[in-house]
Amino acid sequence: MNIWKISIRNFRFKPLYTFLGILTLSVSIALLVGIQQMDKSFRNQLDNNLGEIDMVVGAKGSPLQLVLASVLHIDNPTGNIPFEEAKGLMNNPMIDKAVPISYGDNYKGYRIVGTTHDFPVFYNAVIKEGRSMENPMEVVLGATVAEKFGFQIGDTFQSSHGLAETGGHEHAAPLTVVGVYEPTHKVMDRLIITGLETIWEVHHHEEGPIDNEHEVNDDHEEDDHHEAKEEHHHDEENGVHENNEKEHHDDQGPGQEITSLLVSFRNPMALLNIPRTINENTNMQAALPKFELERLYQFTGVGVKTITWIAYAILVISCITIFISLYRMVRDRAFDLALMRSYGANRFQLVKMMVYEGFMIAGTAFIIGVLLSQIGVYFIFEMITDQYKQTMSLQLEYKELFQTAGLVVLMVLLSIALAIYPITKMNISKILSHEK
Amino acid sequence: MIRTKRLTFKYNNEDTVFKFPDISLNKGQNLLVLGKSGIGKTTLLHLLGGLLRPMDGSIEIDQVPVHSLSNKELDRFRGRNIGLVFQSNHAIQSLNVIENLKARLFFGKKTISQTVIIDLLEQLDILECKNKKVRELSEGQLQRLGIAMAMVHRPGIILADEPTSSLDDDNCNKVIQLLIEQAEINKANLIVITHDQRIKPLFTNKLEL
Repeated sequence: MNIWKISIRNFRFKPLYTFLGILTLSVSIALLVGIQQMDKSFRNQLDNNLGEIDMVVGAKGSPLQLVLASVLHIDNPTGNIPFEEAKGLMNNPMIDKAVPISYGDNYKGYRIVGTTHDFPVFYNAVIKEGRSMENPMEVVLGATVAEKFGFQIGDTFQSSHGLAETGGHEHAAPLTVVGVYEPTHKVMDRLIITGLETIWEVHHHEEGPIDNEHEVNDDHEEDDHHEAKEEHHHDEENGVHENNEKEHHDDQGPGQEITSLLVSFRNPMALLNIPRTINENTNMQAALPKFELERLYQFTGVGVKTITWIAYAILVISCITIFISLYRMVRDRAFDLALMRSYGANRFQLVKMMVYEGFMIAGTAFIIGVLLSQIGVYFIFEMITDQYKQTMSLQLEYKELFQTAGLVVLMVLLSIALAIYPITKMNISKILSHEK
Repeated sequence: MIRTKRLTFKYNNEDTVFKFPDISLNKGQNLLVLGKSGIGKTTLLHLLGGLLRPMDGSIEIDQVPVHSLSNKELDRFRGRNIGLVFQSNHAIQSLNVIENLKARLFFGKKTISQTVIIDLLEQLDILECKNKKVRELSEGQLQRLGIAMAMVHRPGIILADEPTSSLDDDNCNKVIQLLIEQAEINKANLIVITHDQRIKPLFTNKLEL
């Protein structure tokens, strides 16, 4: 027999109090840990997806939209820019890499991005099987896409017009899989990479049918991307679907268009000058992904903060519950505690007993809370993966977990201290002589 | 061996000062303390058991000056040398019978073998309840568990506070017999305080407050 054993017996003696304490505490811990983790993973994922892209140049419009569309591939583009004009930037000595991308088609919701061999370099993506694309109509699949559809080298498929899974018509010309990338856990994984020529060619051949779809319909975005020259929108279900088909009117050559240009700088100084020059002197706009995402966090941060405060409120409530249940325990068991004193127990042993009990509640709640949060976050991530075709790596930040644990320990200690303070003042003789 | 001298006590927020007659008991001697309620019987018992400290006077038990022990020493002394029997609450609610006895030994810092514990339970006729929770016991079984709790650590003094007042005549006799018998086996002093006239004839040594 020892103090621990008695505490464990007490812990199990009044299951309802114990259960209530554990329930509220574990819910608040689950919320705190879950929110932190979601926020952290979400930010990491976005930051990670930027790869080495310092700047993105596209048609005028909302800079955030440009970043979301061309870097994170979760929004529709602001429009197209002439390839020739973009090419001019590529010669700037401050610029390390400038990679054109052009897109407007998908295969079952996964975007087909026309680009150059430099694109995978942004994400350190390496070919796992097969080879890189050499000719038009050849594609290399991101890891998620390859896994999802089980494509093998040499398989062919038909792309659909637009960026959404449904709504676009299928292009007749089949695309051939020539390679698959290793997983990067970045946005690359859910893209289908091909040459710029593929995009131009697909749309060139289909000039006719596409034209029928051209209803210029700009009621979607409030941003000023109407300014973007010669862009075409057609609203379909979930948003504006920007086409790159302008180029097929002009045939290949000087009139070719791309959706945007992804840029990495040689020198951080360029961050200050180049975007301004582009925005002021050209019909294109330059957006800095890091800056735009920071702005985005400020918006999403409000929600995260609100939920965090709610979680703190629940934490306080659960500590009050623990306090009340321990306090009642001390009062209900006053006679038992006095008996123990009459058996020779000193004050310190009784305090220890109650502290153990409090920490058994807190410890159990912490384990349940962390488990709950992991299950919750797992399902939310599954949902995100499903909806946004984005695999997110689940990250458990130990530093923050420890901070939460520290806070819980502190709060629990406080409520335990308040609850068991009466033990030190207990008048054993009085309690024992006032028997029922 | 118990000696008290000019023992007085006063509760903090009360004016009444209790003055107790001197007590002198040799080893193994029993004492019945009688008196109306409110006269300070329980106070005397708690003074002897080290649960209260006297205002003045001295208590010596087996040459130990109990009145001048520090808090910690007093807890330790109580745990090792005193066995208390109460009127109704006899044991810790969340533990079963055998666990209660083990807890008593743990807090009293004594080691007694399992067989001795089992023997004691058998003598008190509650062996079959050894794994029962306290609240599952009958009144009579509870009182006997109370005696076991007061005996298990082989104390030099057993103090019983109205041990029989809630019992019927039959059980009353049994409990007192058991107390006297167990005190004898352990060569302990038994001091019983009561206003229960039924047990008067069983004691030769009496003190009226």
